Amino acid sequence: MNRVFKALADPTRRRVLQLLRERPMSAGDLSEHFAVSKPTMSAHFSVLQEAGLIEAEKIGRTILYRLKMSVLEEALLGFAHTLGWDPNAPERRSRETRKGGRQRRPMKGEA
Amino acid sequence: MIAKSTVDHAAPALVALSSVLAAGNWYLQPERPGAWASALFLIGCMGLALFLVPRDAQDAARPGAGDSIRRGVVFAGLMLVMVLGLKLATAAGLIVDGDLSRRATMIVTAAFFVFTGNAMPKTLTPLASLQCDGAKTQAFQRFAGWTWVLSGLAFGIAWLVLPIDLAKPVSLVLLMTGMLLVAGQMVRLRLRRRREA
Repeated sequence: MNRVFKALADPTRRRVLQLLRERPMSAGDLSEHFAVSKPTMSAHFSVLQEAGLIEAEKIGRTILYRLKMSVLEEALLGFAHTLGWDPNAPERRSRETRKGGRQRRPMKGEA
Repeated sequence: MIAKSTVDHAAPALVALSSVLAAGNWYLQPERPGAWASALFLIGCMGLALFLVPRDAQDAARPGAGDSIRRGVVFAGLMLVMVLGLKLATAAGLIVDGDLSRRATMIVTAAFFVFTGNAMPKTLTPLASLQCDGAKTQAFQRFAGWTWVLSGLAFGIAWLVLPIDLAKPVSLVLLMTGMLLVAGQMVRLRLRRRREA
């Protein structure tokens, strides 16, 4: 179950699952929806596969990904999406605040 | 998820325990021989299934089929042990409330519907061997899974909270509604496929 929670924690992976709800898709089709590199997408697919939420199937030369979620897992996805659940969010927020703080710091000689 | 070794040990233990409970029920309530004979026959089938599925069987066409059979036996065994245990306790006079065993049996049945429905969208047929569009099959499996889970939950809640006289018709209506919805959706998809062909 830990793997499922880890997989659902990332917004990109949640979006992948939402796209796969419509129909089975190839890695290329899925990647078109995201502005991330292919290795990053590949890593996301691996996490989802390890969690047993998607399944890859080779059809000819193409690898098609399809949804493999139980009703409970789909309900969890719905909750995670609605609540915008992201366990790294506080860390990320504080990082962004620090970054923002640096930007707002007055220049030398400024009041 | 349940560990594989736990399932391997629990399956034969539950089969043995349920046969003892069925025999005990037969001994205490000899006026219902048909019911106990059927229970013992079912338990015998479960034992036979366990015996016929070797521990390390690897079927190339369906890897993990043995494990899923063992898991099914564990689930059925748990249901039987719970139901037969309650019947035996009622017959032995340990439980005075006769409705309790009936309610518990129905709630266990509801758990079975929920469990089955939950797993339904996870059971995938290879895309190459599908007779219709993968997207439609996936949508149907999701619909059937959700309907089955919600019907099962409603069925269980009905048996949990309603008076016993009302619980039976209400739960039946709820279950039949779920079944009809799934069957109707299946017929609709088949008709559409025929029209498109």
